[in-house]
Amino acid sequence: MQSLRLQSQTESIKRASAGIVNFIIEKEKSVHKDILFDIKLCVEEAVRNAIVHGNRSNVHLPVDISYDIADNKITITVEDQGNGFHLEKLPDPTQAENLYKESGRGVYLMHRLMDKVHYNTKRNRVTMEKALK
Amino acid sequence: MQVKIQDKETVTICYVSGDIDINSAPLIRKELEKVLSGKKAKVLVNLKDVSYVDSSGLATLVELLKNIRAYGGKLKVCNMAAKIKTLFEITKLDRLFEILPSEDDAVKSFV
Repeated sequence: MQSLRLQSQTESIKRASAGIVNFIIEKEKSVHKDILFDIKLCVEEAVRNAIVHGNRSNVHLPVDISYDIADNKITITVEDQGNGFHLEKLPDPTQAENLYKESGRGVYLMHRLMDKVHYNTKRNRVTMEKALK
Repeated sequence: MQVKIQDKETVTICYVSGDIDINSAPLIRKELEKVLSGKKAKVLVNLKDVSYVDSSGLATLVELLKNIRAYGGKLKVCNMAAKIKTLFEITKLDRLFEILPSEDDAVKSFV
């Protein structure tokens, strides 16, 4: 299990995605670039949400990330120090009335691009899984 | 990330290169606002050299589309990588944007 503790600042987003993508490339030589794209995107969306919505961009609050590969599947956990969110209250960004909205697609993309996305009870920790083959 | 602006016939083409993401979105917005300030009627965003877009990038393009439509202009997108096109499809943004396979097709389609 690999882990990262990052500050709540924008630079942490790319640091997290680069660390995880490089870890995958090191461990699994032939992962398709589309799978790497999906993982990079979902890690960045999850970390951004943790920084902006969870930790309210308070640089003193950390974002904890852990990840591991087992059975050709990567599992990634992103945890912030916030009070969680109401998934069911997020508007569906694909509904006609929401298409012109400029926000609300990050969580939707995570659910569409990863194989599994689940949360702890408090919903300040998201776990995402994706097959690498 | 770079944005180059060039007129071709009556169409203003914005060539974006690099990622369109949380880091580059403010710069892209600033560059494309220059086009909007000229109230250009036909705007094409060529994404040939873009290989990554995140939700901030999608939001930036939606904002641009709204602003252009607000003054009666038209915006189209072309040369989108297959993976990015998939993002437009799953977010249903392909219903908002007219996506053309090539720059020539897009320029002709404005006429």
